[in-house]
Amino acid sequence: MGDAESVGLLEKKYSRRSFIKGVIAVGATASSTGYLLGGAQALGAQMPGATERLITLNINGQDRRVDVLPHETLAMTLRYRLNMTGTKFGCDRAECGACTVLIDGVNHYGCSMLTHQVRGRAVTTIEGLENPDTGELSIVQQAVLEQGGFQCAFCAPGFIMSMEAMIRVNPNPTREEAAHALSGNLCRCADYDKILTCAMRAAELARSV
Amino acid sequence: MAIIRDMIPAFELFQPNTVDDALALLDEHRDEAWVLAGGLDSYDWFKDRIKRPAVVVDLGGIEELHGITEEQGGLTIGAMTSLTEVVNHARVQSDYSVLATAAEHVATPQIRNQGTLGGNIAQDTRCWYYRSGWPCYRAGGNTCYAAAPKAMNREHAIMGASRCVAVSPSDTAPALVALDAKMTVRGGGSPKVHDAEDFFIGPAIDITRMTVVKPGDLLTAIHIPAAWANAQFYYEKVRDRGSWDFQLVSVAAAFQVSGGTITDARISVGGVAPYPVRLERVERLVTGTTGGESVVNEAGELSVQGARVLRHNDYKIPMMRNLVRRAVRSVA
Amino acid sequence: MAEKLIGTDIAPPDLIAKITGRARYSEDFRPDNMVFAKLLLSPMPHCRVREVDATRALAMEGVIGILRAEEVPSREGPREACLTDEPHYEGEPVLAIAAITEEIAADAIEAIDVDFEPLPFVLDPLDSLRPGGPTAYTDGNRFARAPDAEQGDGPVWSDFKWTEADFAEIDAGRMPSDAVAISNWDKGDVDAAFAEADLILEEEIVHQSVTHHPMEPRTNMAYWENGKLFAHVSTQSAQRTKAAVAGAVGIDQEDVVLIAPYCGGGFGSKIAGTTPMQIPAIFSRKINRPVMLRITRYEENYVGRARPGFQTWVKMGFRSDGKCIGIDLFIVEEGGAYGSGDNGTAGAIADLIYTPENMRFRAVSMYTNTPPKAAQRGPGGAQIVSMLEPILAKAGRELEVDALQMRLINAPDPDVAFGPRGSTLTSVHAKEALEQGAELFDWAGKQALSGRREGTKVTGIGVALSPYTAGSRGFDGLMVIRPDGKLYVHQGIGNLGTHSISDTARPAAEILGLNWDQVEIVWGDSSRGMPRSSVQAGSQTTHAHTRANHAAATDAARKIRQIAAQSLGGSPGDYVLDNGRVFRRGGGAGMSFAQVAERAIQMGGEYDGHELPDDIHRETVPAATMLAGEGLMGVAKDNYGGRGGVYTFVAGFAQVELDVETGVVDIKEFVGVTDCGTVVHPRSLGAQLFGGCIQGMGMAMTQKWVYDPKYGVAFANRLYTARPPGFLDIPLNMKWAAVGIADPQTPVGAKGIGEPPVGAGAAALTTAIADAMGTCLCRTPLTPDIILSELEGRDPAFGRLDQHVG
Repeated sequence: MGDAESVGLLEKKYSRRSFIKGVIAVGATASSTGYLLGGAQALGAQMPGATERLITLNINGQDRRVDVLPHETLAMTLRYRLNMTGTKFGCDRAECGACTVLIDGVNHYGCSMLTHQVRGRAVTTIEGLENPDTGELSIVQQAVLEQGGFQCAFCAPGFIMSMEAMIRVNPNPTREEAAHALSGNLCRCADYDKILTCAMRAAELARSV
Repeated sequence: MAIIRDMIPAFELFQPNTVDDALALLDEHRDEAWVLAGGLDSYDWFKDRIKRPAVVVDLGGIEELHGITEEQGGLTIGAMTSLTEVVNHARVQSDYSVLATAAEHVATPQIRNQGTLGGNIAQDTRCWYYRSGWPCYRAGGNTCYAAAPKAMNREHAIMGASRCVAVSPSDTAPALVALDAKMTVRGGGSPKVHDAEDFFIGPAIDITRMTVVKPGDLLTAIHIPAAWANAQFYYEKVRDRGSWDFQLVSVAAAFQVSGGTITDARISVGGVAPYPVRLERVERLVTGTTGGESVVNEAGELSVQGARVLRHNDYKIPMMRNLVRRAVRSVA
Repeated sequence: MAEKLIGTDIAPPDLIAKITGRARYSEDFRPDNMVFAKLLLSPMPHCRVREVDATRALAMEGVIGILRAEEVPSREGPREACLTDEPHYEGEPVLAIAAITEEIAADAIEAIDVDFEPLPFVLDPLDSLRPGGPTAYTDGNRFARAPDAEQGDGPVWSDFKWTEADFAEIDAGRMPSDAVAISNWDKGDVDAAFAEADLILEEEIVHQSVTHHPMEPRTNMAYWENGKLFAHVSTQSAQRTKAAVAGAVGIDQEDVVLIAPYCGGGFGSKIAGTTPMQIPAIFSRKINRPVMLRITRYEENYVGRARPGFQTWVKMGFRSDGKCIGIDLFIVEEGGAYGSGDNGTAGAIADLIYTPENMRFRAVSMYTNTPPKAAQRGPGGAQIVSMLEPILAKAGRELEVDALQMRLINAPDPDVAFGPRGSTLTSVHAKEALEQGAELFDWAGKQALSGRREGTKVTGIGVALSPYTAGSRGFDGLMVIRPDGKLYVHQGIGNLGTHSISDTARPAAEILGLNWDQVEIVWGDSSRGMPRSSVQAGSQTTHAHTRANHAAATDAARKIRQIAAQSLGGSPGDYVLDNGRVFRRGGGAGMSFAQVAERAIQMGGEYDGHELPDDIHRETVPAATMLAGEGLMGVAKDNYGGRGGVYTFVAGFAQVELDVETGVVDIKEFVGVTDCGTVVHPRSLGAQLFGGCIQGMGMAMTQKWVYDPKYGVAFANRLYTARPPGFLDIPLNMKWAAVGIADPQTPVGAKGIGEPPVGAGAAALTTAIADAMGTCLCRTPLTPDIILSELEGRDPAFGRLDQHVG
């Protein structure tokens, strides 16, 4: 990493914005230091009372100290600051579910929350499902492996997180209930039938534990 | 200036713990500030770089805005209560199921886990001209692109238009109207309580916003009175796909029925106007009847009287008419 | 005895990586010093860049550079370049900025002032054909060699217009019979056939464009190291994409390392990579930093391309027993900014599924100022099947012939000859697929439900037949048994999610008598050696590469036996291969494959790849040469030959419930049965079949493109407005089956499956909906508003031939 990455915070100018098209952007935004940590400068916020940038996140059971911009989304932080690329950008607009993570065990779109909103909450990503010591796959992952789920699998991490959330809430779903639980995840390969079989099998395995 | 539709522009983030602190922030930063609830509406604007507040006030940490409490026989729902919590709440399900059903039809599970009831009713319209940042009336300009002769307006209004023809997209709004809900809004001065019908405004009142909530105000709570508890409810939402999609047309209705006769009714339709439409004349028509087929048909016809269609949304007339008929028919 | 592999379910070797988040797609790589590129897109459907002022942008801290159109390859005429100063569709990339963060790059884009000169535009091909109508290019609307061109003359621009008289016919709702076509062929005497026909149906049909929208946007990343280009590309293919990247950047193929272990779907839009893949390659060379170009979903609506739409007139003549005896088909194709040619396949497939004996096919494909059109899973075929099957069903209603019977009587037999060149096929079991499907679906029982009304719900039943090409020949297989005793199959095919990356290696394992855990698939990184392979398109991979790997394994088996005979005595024919060993039949002396590998290295020559067959492709040679000396090499070209085209058939059956008060359609049941030859991987086959069918359902019922005609800009440019089908849009219980009769002209007997299901899914729905309504709407997508308007007898919102509406 060279000096080029160490960019100081620039003066931020917030001009009056009109909400009419044609708004002029003035000045550059403060940069993060690219996708890897480095060159941390003036981590305090500019405005008194505003959220401080350096925060502690609980990711997959581990506390991580991260420099996070106020306007940064969780998916961006995971992928570009923490190098956890299992969570995917499918649309960045809460319209596909590829970025699904668990917040306190409940599935959310990681692209549509600010990282600062998950301080103090347990974040679980696809990387956190397997046993960190033994590498044993989680029950959902085992079910997917057994049933051969997914094709291109770009949607897989998001779906698996939604399945995890589902079995915590509804351990004995009907196929229809499972389909509803997973209805916030899109699969363009349209492997839905097999994915549903995986979800039902995951629930079955979970019940037998 | 070239346009790019990606990457949220920088803002300063405030995460107050009380409503008072939030209001103070809004007062201090005025039109530089943006209120963030669940964010599903806000992030679209930010990521498209059309709205660029300097300051974002995140309500997520304000405990007094979360949760459902029983009050005066009814319910008070904090504006920041998630839609999932509304759907799953025992009393909402048992006594006010039309709200649970409506909330369950919003978007997807993940969005419901994060999206709030307050955010759902306060959300901005989805007219795609407006959402693409075009300088229309609602955006402060001086035209309506969607009403142009060749415009693509399949999802736009057939009633209540006034220069703007966008519709209210909220799924819970018609249910709340049907429940005679009230909304508490706090701003400068003491809190004001608005009837649901007055909470949602049309462009004739103020073309730049969908509700009475003005910049600097906060919607704090939604109150469901006891009046319609355990009524007979009907809810239906017609949309292209089974999830994510906003309504084409929806209906929410509550009926007090005694001995087979409708003694009181509330019927509200979404997706046809810039606000959830309360069908008062239809309510009066069906009250005192048993909801038989002739009343059903009359109700349907009455509900669409005066509708004014655009080029591509004529279908909303039969769709609305039929949904109203189905609501009334459900009583029999 | 080694396990049987063909016909069993085995989890693909990459599944664990996929479900643990370890699988890395292009956006997941992070070389040191990487910078981010962002694109400036055209705000208008057609315009010219007069001036670009990027001074403020380039002065911004953290901005590294800018890439302009003159710095990227371009060709004369209507040819797509990755950046352009004359955009031909809204959303076309004009320039790129690189910065150390994406944020800065985005801010920099905004800081650029571009003076665009608006130019006339056209969205609808019919508007372009109209006399006096606009053209997508300022130079005209047709780019082709002039009729009087001489040898060596290139194509030129002209204005291709139909006449006022042609449009009088069109405006009156009739096929413009005298309109000049650009493509045409015919057979038999269609007018005589119509004179004899007992029933004639004439329809105007519209099939809309839909965007591919793979889950993974076409993000690419590239960097240069020691004169080699390392390209991380989101691509369906692999070895052929390496060639495409090299060609685009103007370097030798062997100076490209293509890294593409995973691709998050393409469906035809990423066949040999993508147009934007050129940008990081060229930009990183310019600024000497790795460049990541993250393509957003918004950009996928534009540079991500789409299936061409069709506006079609068709006249079909039928005998009283339901046999179609004549088809007159005229297609106007929306070619997008850079042209497309789905119509050819559409015509051929219409001939194939109706076997009319008399046919007239005509088509024009017109440039429009809309995103580029590309093959999309079953190009031409999916559209035509979706469009015409309801007409067949309508004929059945009018002739009072059962819809299944209509389908059977018109389905092709094995000796069919179809299309402009009278093509024949290696195997056809369409009727078996239909019959098997009818049984699985309980056609007779379901037919009793057709038109049944319960409350506000009407039941509709539909059946459709959808064929598509599903095989090719002549590619190379390359594999090595290394001294660890394992077989390493070097795949030059891409890993786009079909599982063919591993399934096509199964014949090799079986020939060599190996269990699956003794086989390693080498894929995803061209520096490890990729033989000349097919592109992953046209559903050809399963067929082509079971053959290629079969050939290479056969070569390896021969060598193994020879080595055994040389080492242990006897003749090669005395030896069998099983469980990783070669030994004398009936027991006796043997060698492990590990020992064979060592021996091969000692012997050199052809055994370890130092000598290669003469007929392998020159693109295979470097890979094989690199692997020489590593073990026992199997390398061969697929010379199995064959006569005729390879087609797979899918029969689709659907039961729907249509709510007459809301226009909402609920798909209650779906059955798909395929003739795809031998089934290599059943679970994967079922998934491909359902997946394709559901994509077809999306086309038929929810997906759309919407353009504002005044401004020429797109509005269904978000996933939620593009509306690809989700979990709640499909039946919960779908069934599939395969006829399973081996194709006789290929050693493994397997044909492909990717594309044929799309038409089956779409058309099973369009026919079922028509059955429920008693009328055919002749348009897609069949959204509730369109259905309800029709049921209520309301004036349609748009013209019968209008595109991009909804």
